[in-house]
Amino acid sequence: MGTDETGLSRRRLLRNSAFGLGAAAVGTPLLSACGSSASATGGVSSKGLKSVLPDYVPLSGGVAADIPSVTGANGALTDPGYLSYPTNLVKTVSQMPGSGGAYNAITPLWGSIPPAGNAYYQAVNKALGASLVVNPANGNTYANTIPTLVAGNKLPDWIQLPSWWNSTLNVGELAANRFADLTPHLSGSNIRKYPNLAAIPTGGWEAGAWEGKLYGIPSFVTGQAVAGALYYRKDVFDAKGINPDDVKTADDLYHLGAELTAPKANVWAFDVLWLMIQQIYKVPSGGYFLENGKLRSALDSPQMVAALEYAYKLAKSGYVHPDALANDTSNGTQRLYSGKELVQSGGTGGWNVMDAQQGRAANPAYVRGAFKIFSSDGSTPTIALGPSTSEISYLSKSLSPSQVEECLRLANFLAAPFGTYEYTLLNYGVEGVDWTMGKDGPTYSNAGQKDANEQTYQFLCAPQLAVSNPGYNYITQAYCAWSADTVKYAYKPVFWNMNVTVPSRFSSVSTAQEVNDIITQVTYGTKTVGDFQSAVKSWKSSGGDALIAWYQTNVLDKFGAGQ
Amino acid sequence: MTTISSGETAGPGIADPGATEETHPKTRRRDRARPPKLKFHIRLRRDRSLLIMVVPALVLVVAFSYLPMFGTVTAFQFYDYIAGFFHSPWAGFGNFQQLFGDPNFWHAFENTLVLSFVQLVLYFPIPIALAIMLNSVLSSTARSLIQAVVYLPHFFSWVLVITLFQEMLGGAGALNHFLGVHDLGAWTVMTDPGTFKYLVTAQAVWKEAGWGVIVFLAAIAAIDPSQYEAAAADGAGRWRRMWHITLPGMRGVIVLMLVLRLGNALTVGFEQFLIQRYAVGSSSAEVLDTYAYYYGVVANNFGLGAAAGLFKGIVSLILILAANKLAHLVGEDGLYRSNP
Repeated sequence: MGTDETGLSRRRLLRNSAFGLGAAAVGTPLLSACGSSASATGGVSSKGLKSVLPDYVPLSGGVAADIPSVTGANGALTDPGYLSYPTNLVKTVSQMPGSGGAYNAITPLWGSIPPAGNAYYQAVNKALGASLVVNPANGNTYANTIPTLVAGNKLPDWIQLPSWWNSTLNVGELAANRFADLTPHLSGSNIRKYPNLAAIPTGGWEAGAWEGKLYGIPSFVTGQAVAGALYYRKDVFDAKGINPDDVKTADDLYHLGAELTAPKANVWAFDVLWLMIQQIYKVPSGGYFLENGKLRSALDSPQMVAALEYAYKLAKSGYVHPDALANDTSNGTQRLYSGKELVQSGGTGGWNVMDAQQGRAANPAYVRGAFKIFSSDGSTPTIALGPSTSEISYLSKSLSPSQVEECLRLANFLAAPFGTYEYTLLNYGVEGVDWTMGKDGPTYSNAGQKDANEQTYQFLCAPQLAVSNPGYNYITQAYCAWSADTVKYAYKPVFWNMNVTVPSRFSSVSTAQEVNDIITQVTYGTKTVGDFQSAVKSWKSSGGDALIAWYQTNVLDKFGAGQ
Repeated sequence: MTTISSGETAGPGIADPGATEETHPKTRRRDRARPPKLKFHIRLRRDRSLLIMVVPALVLVVAFSYLPMFGTVTAFQFYDYIAGFFHSPWAGFGNFQQLFGDPNFWHAFENTLVLSFVQLVLYFPIPIALAIMLNSVLSSTARSLIQAVVYLPHFFSWVLVITLFQEMLGGAGALNHFLGVHDLGAWTVMTDPGTFKYLVTAQAVWKEAGWGVIVFLAAIAAIDPSQYEAAAADGAGRWRRMWHITLPGMRGVIVLMLVLRLGNALTVGFEQFLIQRYAVGSSSAEVLDTYAYYYGVVANNFGLGAAAGLFKGIVSLILILAANKLAHLVGEDGLYRSNP
């Protein structure tokens, strides 16, 4: 194509503009950075924390639990179970908490996002006396969206950050720079202004503390924070006459896989079970373990190698569903519902009414069960306790002190305990519109299912966990029985409930990304245990050993192991 | 408007007044026929309506392609997303040193090149063949229908396409279920690292070949039909007509697409590989973009990811310039030509 009559060739224009603007871009002076950010030296939450922890003032009265809490080993405590719901809903917050402020919040959601501005949101805001707009975001990609929000200065007034992403997102440094310090508002007896917040066990406030200051507002504090359970299709096992208690070792599980797998009938025994294989093989939790007083990385432990070998063996056995091996994690629960998989590992939050309803929609006989915990060789099992809560929300530093106080009053409303008027409004919605009182408790209407069924406000602040499944009491009983058995074997891993801010030079090394990536691939059978071991070696030599040494001197020696 | 190939003359009579064979021994016909250049402001006035039409697109390109280029400074910093661009410590070439010393990076680079080559050989000819086949369909309704059906998958997301493949060809999918019921073994193509490059190419063909047809169909439509008639009158069969008329007629567009393809050699895709990375393992599925994602973004090492991206951008620029030069050597305009 040559020049046309006007003399302008499109290519010449393109070339000229490209050159002109390209030159401008390159000419921009490359900025040198001034020093590094606030927490270049790192820190530990325990430093001076004891003196600022809020008072713990349990509420009196309230609903008596039908299945009371059971104490386990090492401070573990089961959540109380309720088989009925109070008909007389008590109001714990007498005055309207809000004073007309407007706040926006972001929370993660692993479920279907309710429509914006729906009737349930409006009813909650009316009761709060302020406009608290919650924007639930996809939980699966949540960690990737946070850095962009921070870099673009678009953090909302109130944001929830699950603690399992603390190191990925470097939350310690983030808290120091962008979140409001709640210590002056909540330390010691200051929290008594907010009775529902004062009733949250102290462990929850420790879980949200960074470098001796209180930042996080906890939700769902529990004394039985375990990684999860090994679930199975109870109805299928009952029909086949399989007793799950017979599975006492890793080999038993493997043979069960052989018994259950029938590809011609479109049935495979297992999903990828890595979550619970770690428990079965007693892999140290929390990243570290102690050996003769010296700190070592869990990646370096012999239990990790044994667990990975078993996971690899399972992946190659043909007992794991091919879609699970193809990394189709989003349809995992669906495969359990439709019976294509019979054994799955998952968090304890997945055993509830919604699970039963969705399962029954796919398969009317559906019943979920959980194996009693066992260890790989049949010896006494152990299960690690996680922090008192993983659901922590933070307020923005840009809020004024009066705004912080208003938000804390809103949090106080959100923290109303089980069976109160506020709890029912937040979890079920408006009576008559979103729910009606059934035999055992509230049952959702169609509108309620859509609007009020998901965790939205609950992720900003929520009371201590209570087990309640109105209309499905058998779930509450089964879950509480499993929990009572499980807490007998609980232990606190090294640095339990401590938040450590690593110096920025370790921020990438502490993610141990390459090693964790290879661990995932070994559990899918696409890399060998040998690959894992060489990755650990290179991680240690390129910063891992320095990181462990830093933890030894700056955390363990100064503040102990959090036991 | 047909392209005049070099070496042909347009006809007698036109010549540059001052030029002779001695002063311009090697210039081609059309170079000597260029009119004298007008003054800048005269050209600006003459072309102002065209320039105004270009302004919105230009603004978009500046705002979304050029201004963000400032962010490449991240490649030279130990970027801390909380400190931002202006307070992150300076790294100089530290990130690049780490990058080039990382065997995972070279592995990803190797995978990217291999995949690019496989796709070039196996994928690139298919839209051309499809266009030629479609062109020979007589009924225009049939042609429109086939074309619409074939380019529809372009609008699907990769998640959908891969889910479809998994449902059909996966270990628990329709094909393997059929094979299993009849005791014919299993075809584990969705989790086989050895055949992954062919699987990926097959997915790309299924999804994108139909869309690529459009450009080539337009090129074929521009060919003068009287040439076909003349050739048929001379006794040329269907294959000879295709070889001597259709393909040469499309040559300009084919070379253009090839140049673009080569310039994009390091961009084999991201989503497609991200979704399937754990299914086949990073040994066969790691490409430069997924490397930058896993070892840059997920590992909280944004500087390294940016360095990988910058490396990819620079190499792609060199490739596209080289490919364009190659196009000139075979006589085509390529992506652009500085002296038309």
